[in-house]
Amino acid sequence: MKKTAFINDKPYSFEPGDTILSFVRRYFERDFVPTLCDAPNLDPYGACRVCSVDVALVKDGPCKAQASCHTPVMENSYIYTDSERIKRLRKNIVELVLTDHPLDCLTCEVNNNCELQTVAARVGIRDVRYPEGKNHLDRKKDLSHPYMTSDFSKCINCARCVRACDEVQGEMVLNMAGRGFDAHIIKSFNNNFFDSDCVSCGACAQACPTSAISDVFESKSVSADKKVRTVCTYCGVGCNLEVAVTNGKVKSIQAPYDAAVNQGHTCLKGRFAFSFYNHPDRLRTPLIRKNGELVPATWDEAYNYIANELNRIKKEHGPDAIGGISSARCTNEENFLMQKFIRAVIGTNNIDSCARVCHSPTALGMQRTFGTGAATNSIIDLKYTDCVMVIGANPTDAHPVTGAKIKQFFMKGKPSIVIDPRRTELARYATYHLQLRPGTNVALLNMMLYYIVMDGLEDQKFIESRTEGYEDFKKHILNLDINELEKVTGVDKSLVRKAAHAYATSPNAMSFHGLGVTEHSQGTYTVMLIADLAMITGNIGRRGVGVNPLRGQNNVQGAADMGCQPHQGAGYLDSYDPEINKMYSAFYGVDVPMRKGLKIPEMYDASLAGKMKAMWLMGEDNAQTDPNTQHVVSAFKQLDLLVVQDIFLSETAKLAHVVLPASSFLEKSGTFTNGERRIQRVNAVVEPLEGTKPDGQIMCEIMKHMGFNQPDYHPGVVLDEISRVVPFFAGVKWDELGENGKQWPVKPDGTDTEILHTESFKLGKGRFQTATWRETEELKSNSEQFPYILTTNRELEHYNNGTMTRRTGNVEILTEDVLLINPADAQKHNIADGDMVCISSARGKIDVKAKLTDEVKSGVVSSTFHFPDIHMNDLTSSVADSEAMCPEYKVVAVSIRKSKGVYKK
Amino acid sequence: MSRKILLKHIDVPGIRGLKAYRENGGYQALEKALKSMKPDEVTEEVKKSGLRGRGGAGFPAGMKWSFIAKPEGVPRYLVCNADESEPGTFKDRYLMSHLPHALIEGMIVSSFALGANTSYIYIRGEMLYVYHILEEAIAEAYEAGLLGKNILGSGFSLDLYVHPGGGAYICGEETALIESLEGKRGNPRIKPPFPAVKGVWGCPTVVNNVETIASVPHIVNMGGDEYAKIGIGKSTGTKLISACGHINKPGVYEIELGLPAEEFLYSDNYCGGIRNGKKLKAVVAGGSSVPILPGELFLKTANGEPRLMSYESLADGGFASGTMLGSGGFIVMDEDTSIVKNLWNFTRFYHHESCGQCSPCREGTGWMEKLLHKFLDGHATIEDIDLLWDIQSKIEGKTICPLGDAAAWPVASAIRHFRSEFEEYVKNPHSIKDVKHYFRINNLVEQ
Ligand SMILES: Cc1cc2nc3c(=O)[nH]c(=O)nc-3n(C[C@H](O)[C@H](O)[C@H](O)COP(=O)(O)O)c2cc1C
Ligand code: SF4
Ligand code: SF4
Ligand code: SF4
Ligand code: SF4
Ligand code: FES
Repeated sequence: MKKTAFINDKPYSFEPGDTILSFVRRYFERDFVPTLCDAPNLDPYGACRVCSVDVALVKDGPCKAQASCHTPVMENSYIYTDSERIKRLRKNIVELVLTDHPLDCLTCEVNNNCELQTVAARVGIRDVRYPEGKNHLDRKKDLSHPYMTSDFSKCINCARCVRACDEVQGEMVLNMAGRGFDAHIIKSFNNNFFDSDCVSCGACAQACPTSAISDVFESKSVSADKKVRTVCTYCGVGCNLEVAVTNGKVKSIQAPYDAAVNQGHTCLKGRFAFSFYNHPDRLRTPLIRKNGELVPATWDEAYNYIANELNRIKKEHGPDAIGGISSARCTNEENFLMQKFIRAVIGTNNIDSCARVCHSPTALGMQRTFGTGAATNSIIDLKYTDCVMVIGANPTDAHPVTGAKIKQFFMKGKPSIVIDPRRTELARYATYHLQLRPGTNVALLNMMLYYIVMDGLEDQKFIESRTEGYEDFKKHILNLDINELEKVTGVDKSLVRKAAHAYATSPNAMSFHGLGVTEHSQGTYTVMLIADLAMITGNIGRRGVGVNPLRGQNNVQGAADMGCQPHQGAGYLDSYDPEINKMYSAFYGVDVPMRKGLKIPEMYDASLAGKMKAMWLMGEDNAQTDPNTQHVVSAFKQLDLLVVQDIFLSETAKLAHVVLPASSFLEKSGTFTNGERRIQRVNAVVEPLEGTKPDGQIMCEIMKHMGFNQPDYHPGVVLDEISRVVPFFAGVKWDELGENGKQWPVKPDGTDTEILHTESFKLGKGRFQTATWRETEELKSNSEQFPYILTTNRELEHYNNGTMTRRTGNVEILTEDVLLINPADAQKHNIADGDMVCISSARGKIDVKAKLTDEVKSGVVSSTFHFPDIHMNDLTSSVADSEAMCPEYKVVAVSIRKSKGVYKK
Repeated sequence: MSRKILLKHIDVPGIRGLKAYRENGGYQALEKALKSMKPDEVTEEVKKSGLRGRGGAGFPAGMKWSFIAKPEGVPRYLVCNADESEPGTFKDRYLMSHLPHALIEGMIVSSFALGANTSYIYIRGEMLYVYHILEEAIAEAYEAGLLGKNILGSGFSLDLYVHPGGGAYICGEETALIESLEGKRGNPRIKPPFPAVKGVWGCPTVVNNVETIASVPHIVNMGGDEYAKIGIGKSTGTKLISACGHINKPGVYEIELGLPAEEFLYSDNYCGGIRNGKKLKAVVAGGSSVPILPGELFLKTANGEPRLMSYESLADGGFASGTMLGSGGFIVMDEDTSIVKNLWNFTRFYHHESCGQCSPCREGTGWMEKLLHKFLDGHATIEDIDLLWDIQSKIEGKTICPLGDAAAWPVASAIRHFRSEFEEYVKNPHSIKDVKHYFRINNLVEQ
């Protein structure tokens, strides 16, 4: 039964939980009731009182003024939104607020987009009756930060910024200090933005109704010519961005409140780090190597050169002497075209993508257990879960918007588990931090499984009805030597047991994992054990549960979905299966090969062995980002033809024979698929920089150049082609994706899927898989000489090797890579904070600045590779996951010593 | 009408200590409740007693207790509001410093009734000496097995903490108090949810005044019905009144509710009349927040009936001609007092103490103070009286917490009853300036 209340004497029905404001707004336009302290993504606060309405409990009964934003609707009450009394009240309140606000609207940054201005106009302020008195108009501006600004003379004390920082970002940087008239916003310990703990997410600036907190791009000013909604390119969260454009240039970025993924939030990369896109370093013309030098060329010259070379190599060495590496930074359409080009035009399965070096074990491990290599649930499930386990992931840095949500969950005090060698930000809030030795994930998860089995915490019903292979699995688990595992991992077994109980006994438990799981020699096995944990406790197939990989780059999911791996074509169909091969051949209109293709590391080996002659890299900088740099570089140097498509002259591009200038994500359209399988539309915000072309267009043009019948590039057309071959894209239509996209599988009728495996698994039944911990080769062979373990990680401010973020203001916030060392280890080697340290591994040595911290345990050191000058990947090894060949970035045997100066190669 | 309950044993030597307190009947209610009553039966007695909250609002305590939510597996808390910062009110500190065990016994019995196993006394930060007295008494109680695990073998356990505040009047408002107790800035919360559903640490919580809680053991001892016979009508029991101002005998008095106002003001058992033979001008009967009344209206209602010291009688006539019993801070002003200057001083206090969350209170209290200052400076106009009225009317009932009301009511009542004095300040600023005196807040609370 719907309940009724009256708005201005007319009856309307309201929903349970409605406040008067949400009730009124359901039927009337947004500013029908003016508000100041209310914001779409924040809890009601009730401070400004501008939203007051008159409420009578019976018809013609006495009215009381109530703040509508937080007062629940009473059944059969009479709400008057505009009585004379209320109008006077609102006017008086705004008038009072204006006594302490400068009246310089005309020159204010947010002129015409200021909520105070709108409300003042709405309530009809004509003059301020209060004599001039003490005010705060002389407050100083804060311009200390590369992005965030404040001018608190404009502050109206609505606390939206404080709440945004608390409720959205969870950073608690801002607060009110002082009482009453003296109440004012402070940052951390009364610092400026730069010295405060602010992580520059911009949530407070977006929330602020005036220009009191803003940013250097003046995001809230109205000077933009147009606003375009698109998707962030910096990580797998896939935040929606609203990009303002002036004179054909990107002016500023805000986050749409109605975005399903990010609800008005972003991190500093998405919101502020866009200035790379028209940086002077952008490539603007194709380059061809002549006499050892890369010289400018026309597109036709470049295409001709490439086509000739490829045809020659194909003729002389066969198509398998050619390989392609696609990019998870590019769109689905572009990835699809890339693999189509390699398979249908070149005629080889030598296609791989950078997913190889990050989440290939996730895809494989989850395919082996569930049948589908993708997140089982959605981020929104964080609202419905009772326990969160984060394994080998540091989302507050690497997936900041999801990270903020997880942190909010952790801070609520519900059971939370972090499995990580580093004391990450989340670990500080976790109920259980299992700080294991790097490389022992398999051992640790086995310990958890052991306790779940030993203590009888399995979900028998789920195991019986939904899975197979449990009996053998159980036998294997019960045979484990728990004390041995405790020694191996270095984690107290009673703590592991408590964590296992928390995960197994919570009504709904959700796990997240990242590269700390996959980038190991036992990466795939670890993923399988995570899946086992979910199955044994029945945490699959409903809200608030599941196995949820945090995808590194923006379109890792999509690159794999589109078939950028040798053994699976578009839609993960087996490219070595004769039946499927027939289907693909018919679909592409040419015979595609069935011969085994090479994965990325195999391509390097083939090149060094003289078998691989040409490689094509789309938006990849493997000479920087792949492990064991020297090995990779020599492989590239061996090639007859290296084609690199990129937006900058990357380290890899410098080695190329042909460099093709591509357009950035702000200049092209297409779709990205985020970590929760959400296919979202990327929309070109500005024209491609002169001289550049979108990667998809380049692919189409070269295909045509090589005689293939490929229509001109349009993402919608390619997407249509994809929907006809990728089964789970069946109902995906360019025009029907809407603002918030769709989560695959999308049925032919267009309905999408938030949760996988609700009834059954892709494999029918889930398969338990066992794994036995083995020490990685890297440590086995090198740890005697190199006794420390180096593990690599990410920082919030930079993205991957930093080619983009280092060309933005982010570099002013985080200026360099550092090596995290436990103070005890540092003392042993006489290393002080800020000293240069020389780290050596079996491959090479580098110099980096030390930062002493107990974030890492003794025996473990940790660093990033955002700054290529450091050459971190000179150290990393060629050891890779035994199953998926994902390199082991996370465990490197090293030695450390204080270095005398800056070591130069 | 001079029955003493709370302060009956105040003069017994050593009553601050556990031994003397017990020898004089202390902790009998505790034994009775824990050994022979169910928690709900205690609540039932408190309901029957008609005991009303002594912190200001006068809400029936038993009813408040019965509202507390009892979800499975969620702890409940009792918090004693010992913040006592209202100008003119100084009864709680008197009770606590002389009879700390009366409060502690009340806390234990009340916690038992509510099913709280952890309780807090939130005490005003400036009252450090009282904090130490309480800590000492609590240590004694732990020692004697009256606090801690399994009290007197009853199976009921209670831990009691004293938490000193940081010195803000707003932290006496129950939800600001809870925020402050949780270690946050003392901003009042929006309601709903009420503390009975979501209080300390998000759990069901009852907040009661010191005097309210200290009355509970007496109710348990004599029975709710018996207690309800004391006092008059719905104003049952006795009440502590802290009397100050231009009277002969300032101090804390326990009165049976219903005592004639005139008797309280003039009898030698209580205030002893106006100092120096002066005439009575005005009375603030329940702490600085309640409406001020001219002497005549304090002594007799608008209908000409004698005013009694009870919730109902003092409120007779509504705000047009009545006031409130409030927290029992009784301030008397003689004929030489400047109402305007005094009001300015009170308003300055509220301006200073506003937490700053809601715009009407944050900005409005400031402007009221500024306008009142204009009167004192002799720059005010007649229109300023209306403007002052307008501001207070836009604060009252329109803010998150009642501090807004507390700031508005004195202004409204002063204009209502003493408009001519405001006009006098406008017309004749100099003649009036020098002679009148006013109450400094600090002097009020020190007496
Ligand atoms: C600004 C403000 C200050 C208050 N200060 C106190 C105080 O110091 N002591 C007190 O008991 N109640 C104070 N109160 C009332 C409390 O909010 C609350 O109503 C009271 O503690 C409830 O206890 P009772 O029901 O036993 O009276 C204050 C209220 C406001 C609005
Ligand atoms: S930018 Fe983000 S982290 Fe920084 S103060 Fe604002 S909300 Fe907090
Ligand atoms: S800075 Fe902006 S959001 Fe924060 S309190 Fe001031 S006006 Fe409100
Ligand atoms: S969280 Fe990821 S997708 Fe969102 S703005 Fe940041 S980098 Fe972009
Ligand atoms: S009424 Fe005053 S004290 Fe109460 S919440 Fe509002 S600003 Fe704070
Ligand atoms: S919007 Fe309701 S009080 Fe501010």
